[in-house]
Amino acid sequence: MRTTARSRVLATLTAVALSTLALAACSPEDPADEGADEGGGDAYTELVGSGPVADDAAVEGNEWASAVREAGVLTVGGTETSELFSLLDPTTGETRGFDSGIQQMLSQYILGEVNMELQQVTVDTREQVLESNTVDTVIATYSITPERAERVAFAGPYYSSQAGILVSTDTTDIQGVDDLAGRTVATQANSTGVTLLEEEAPEAEILALPDHAQALAAVQQGNADAYVIDQTLLMNAVVANDDVQIVGEPFGPEDPYGIGVNQDSDAVDFINTFLTEIEDSGLWADLWQLTIGDRADIPDVPTPPTPGDTGL
Amino acid sequence: MGVLFGNYLPELLSGLWVTVQITGVSFVGALILGTLLATCRISPIPPLRAAASVYVEIFRNVPLVALVVLVVYGLPEIGLNPGFLPGVMLATTSVGAAFACETLRTGANAVGAGQIEAARSIGLTFSGIMRDVVVPQAARSVIGPMVTLFIGILLSSSMAAVVGQADLTYTASLINNKEALGLITFAVAAAAYAAISLGAAGVGAAAEKKFRVLR
Repeated sequence: MRTTARSRVLATLTAVALSTLALAACSPEDPADEGADEGGGDAYTELVGSGPVADDAAVEGNEWASAVREAGVLTVGGTETSELFSLLDPTTGETRGFDSGIQQMLSQYILGEVNMELQQVTVDTREQVLESNTVDTVIATYSITPERAERVAFAGPYYSSQAGILVSTDTTDIQGVDDLAGRTVATQANSTGVTLLEEEAPEAEILALPDHAQALAAVQQGNADAYVIDQTLLMNAVVANDDVQIVGEPFGPEDPYGIGVNQDSDAVDFINTFLTEIEDSGLWADLWQLTIGDRADIPDVPTPPTPGDTGL
Repeated sequence: MGVLFGNYLPELLSGLWVTVQITGVSFVGALILGTLLATCRISPIPPLRAAASVYVEIFRNVPLVALVVLVVYGLPEIGLNPGFLPGVMLATTSVGAAFACETLRTGANAVGAGQIEAARSIGLTFSGIMRDVVVPQAARSVIGPMVTLFIGILLSSSMAAVVGQADLTYTASLINNKEALGLITFAVAAAAYAAISLGAAGVGAAAEKKFRVLR
């Protein structure tokens, strides 16, 4: 068969159309818990829309924010696959979640309306896209560490994660870290969970398993009484499985999430002002309640961290 | 070395104990189940022969890692929960039994056909032939291969580490993560495994001498 230019174009178009369909078909599953608030609907849009707008003088006095306003859109490095923090809704093409809310509010703070463009980043590319100014900022459950702070600047923290305790919904006698004594507690072998348990729950029987799926299965099948790991990871498990729950207060060292910006920019103070505003007005708490608390069944809103207090 | 034995001797010993438990239970279980399977495979009843062959072919050809994960996480899904340590023992026993069966069958086949004929002609039943003619001779000729099987099961017991059971391998790796002692921890663990294997080989050699088949 002779391939003419036209049929080549047709073939290419067909391939593109098919792969688009295939990608659309691979959309993330809907959360299984029907009863819970879906962390969105109009409540979410309304909440984001009620965010503050910076006065012109503040934006004009800031080089980074002026450039964003000049471009008319805030380009954010983020993700589309984080259940509670930033999950793409394939029907609208928008992401929703705690990180998404912060991103959208920040764009409105600068532009007067929500207008942002999401660039997918991975753990390996986050510093790169900031250094090359491919994005204005990275908001993607980005833990502040000294090593990263050598390459990028961090505003925030805007969220702080600690270790949490996950148990089966049938378990009533584990209410906190003190109740782990004498119980079998699963954690991930290659995480800091083992050391943390040895310090915080020395009497616990530690069961170090290779990965998250196995530790979760151990609790669901009754081979472990609890699973201790970073609470953000546990919250995702709770949303996806209705036979497990999170109990007790988070404990152990804090893992602060920051907003990454280019090291040479003047964005840090500007973004910290924005974060302080939404924390003081209670918007931060409302956003947390809507996107995380209601969906992971955690009743108490945590105290937001102090922006600028990066601990570095 | 000082740090290792000074601080971690209890952990190492308890790891060794878990390894010994898994190996002992699995080896004894594999012998019992393997004998049953071998009997089925050389029995005059076709369905039994087929069933035993299917079992052997399945368990001989499944990687033990996969089987351990299947038993420990898969069985609870259908309402059977053996627990982690018994689950590892179950997986190791199942695989060991397949190999034990084949070893025993080979041993039984080494018993001369003429002897079976003779036993039949004096009116012995199948179970009588097995008990008085085949098993005593087969057992003697399989001592060597059984030692090999024992060592195989001993080394397989390290699969327990995959599901977080604190056997010798897991303990060595845990100590290494904490103290970064390098290869010395694993060298000590390896020496312990080698000592058990050599002990088993010694016992096997002595037994072979004692029960040598006179042909």
